[in-house]
Amino acid sequence: MLFERALKRYSTKTIGPIDLIVERGEVMGLIGPNGSGKTTTIRLMLGLIKPSAGRVLLNGFSPFSKRVEALRGVGYSPELPNLPTFFTPRELLMLIAREIGLSAQNHEVEDALERVGLLEYSDTKISKLSKGMVQRLSVAQALLGNPHALVLDEPLIGVDPIGADHLRALISDFASKGGTVVLSSHQLSEVESVCTSVTAFRKGRVLFSGKVSELVKSFLGVRTIKVDALGVNKSILERVSALEGVLHIEEDKSSLRIRVQADRDVRAKIARLLIEEGCELREIRYLDNALDELYRRAVLGEGGLES
Amino acid sequence: MGLRVRRATVFLAYEFRRAIARRKVVALVVFTLLLDTVPYYALVSNAPNLIPVEFHPYVWVIGVYAPQPIFLQFIAILIAAGAMSEEYEQGTAELLLSKPVSKAEYFLGKYLGGYALLLTLIFLNSGFTLLSAYSSFGVQRGLLALPYFLLGECVSSVVFFSLAFMVGELVRRPSLSYIISSAVFFTSEILAVYFGLIGSVTGNALYQKLQKLLPTSPVNSLPLQLGVAKLPSGVQELLSFVGPSQPIESSIFTSVILILLYALLSVFSSYAYFRYTDVSKRVS
Repeated sequence: MLFERALKRYSTKTIGPIDLIVERGEVMGLIGPNGSGKTTTIRLMLGLIKPSAGRVLLNGFSPFSKRVEALRGVGYSPELPNLPTFFTPRELLMLIAREIGLSAQNHEVEDALERVGLLEYSDTKISKLSKGMVQRLSVAQALLGNPHALVLDEPLIGVDPIGADHLRALISDFASKGGTVVLSSHQLSEVESVCTSVTAFRKGRVLFSGKVSELVKSFLGVRTIKVDALGVNKSILERVSALEGVLHIEEDKSSLRIRVQADRDVRAKIARLLIEEGCELREIRYLDNALDELYRRAVLGEGGLES
Repeated sequence: MGLRVRRATVFLAYEFRRAIARRKVVALVVFTLLLDTVPYYALVSNAPNLIPVEFHPYVWVIGVYAPQPIFLQFIAILIAAGAMSEEYEQGTAELLLSKPVSKAEYFLGKYLGGYALLLTLIFLNSGFTLLSAYSSFGVQRGLLALPYFLLGECVSSVVFFSLAFMVGELVRRPSLSYIISSAVFFTSEILAVYFGLIGSVTGNALYQKLQKLLPTSPVNSLPLQLGVAKLPSGVQELLSFVGPSQPIESSIFTSVILILLYALLSVFSSYAYFRYTDVSKRVS
């Protein structure tokens, strides 16, 4: 997927110019507040809207003028899954299967319904399904035809925690088999846990784009690790302080808050040291969410990201 | 990129199913049934002598033609005005058009699906009419004219179907599409009356020409032009019970040309708009 100075002018605002490349096998998260340009980017990607300037290519073709070639092998789940409510999930998937020209329709439909855990509701009218089920059904229709790319606009909205786990696993499984995923979300922790790269939008412009790990390294100077352990004494703290990348340690009742350089993941070293010293390690984790922090700084204009 | 007929038929079947799933179409079938039965039974029960006995074997003509000037056009508008616009309103256009299908396949399928439903209702109307006429007035004759009336109704209904389809695509709001399309239809009907009246009173040929150019003119004329000629002479007087028994336009060729002109202009304008503009986001 390629965006080259792609721009969309609306009567009241302009989105872009957007420069973006999503490589095959990449899992990219689009983040940003409402109206920042995430959905416009997705709609440009799918040829639902025409760029006012610049160009967009999908599978090497313009999705607006060469729809069939560009959209072949691409599954899409819209932000608000507005599915025809008079259908049952099976009927809807049969329609989509015929639309994309699948030959073994019944088998594919059953398989897709099973993958999203809706097989037992396959003959219930869509109007009778819960919001989360409709969202899962929307993902199921995107999975039809064994696509090589998935475009998911806010796929976890309205989905309960178990359903969300199910969908997250499904996305990870799809990506692990070499599938390309572009997903937009407001839940930055979701994006960080699933995506390998991220593009952040603000007021119609791309704030930053790249691999999550590289962005954290580049823009987050310091992160905080929370350590919950028993048996930590002064000499152990001194040894932890001496580890490369550790900047400062604060003791807080039974836990430690260790400020570290963001580009060095010293969690394993700290854990090993504490265990070697005979401490009972109960928890060690980053206290902050890197992407959340990164995005907050970007949106608030801190850390020089806006430039 | 060529048009794949099989993909278009997927949308044709979808549109047919979608239209039936809406209660609006069920209501239309009920109204068709009422319109084709109640008048016959009312006539037989209350005014059996209103229609001369020699015309009894031909009363089916009234039922087949009576809905044409208004009711069938209104059905055409109700079906077509929502065909595209409701998909935008409900957000389903976005889903269907995110698949590897061409806009031409989607457009053609939707258009033909809606039109197939309209034709079904036209045939249903004739079927109900024949049954009612038979059960109320006995054996019906002159049925060789029926296919000609039906052909005229099927061809002429494409005018307001296409106009409403175009308005639905241009406006992309179902309720507004219904209002605008209905307004165009009723305006044409009313103007035809005025132009006809002014033309006959003043003798000014311009008004008669204008009357013939209005979209309702070929729509109302073609079924009469094709069907009446196949009826025994004198039977067409029966049609005076439900309106003018003579077509406004006298030439079948002109009627067909006008119908094609209105329909093709509407179809090409709506397709061009659909092809080159964005797929609207859900508007409701």
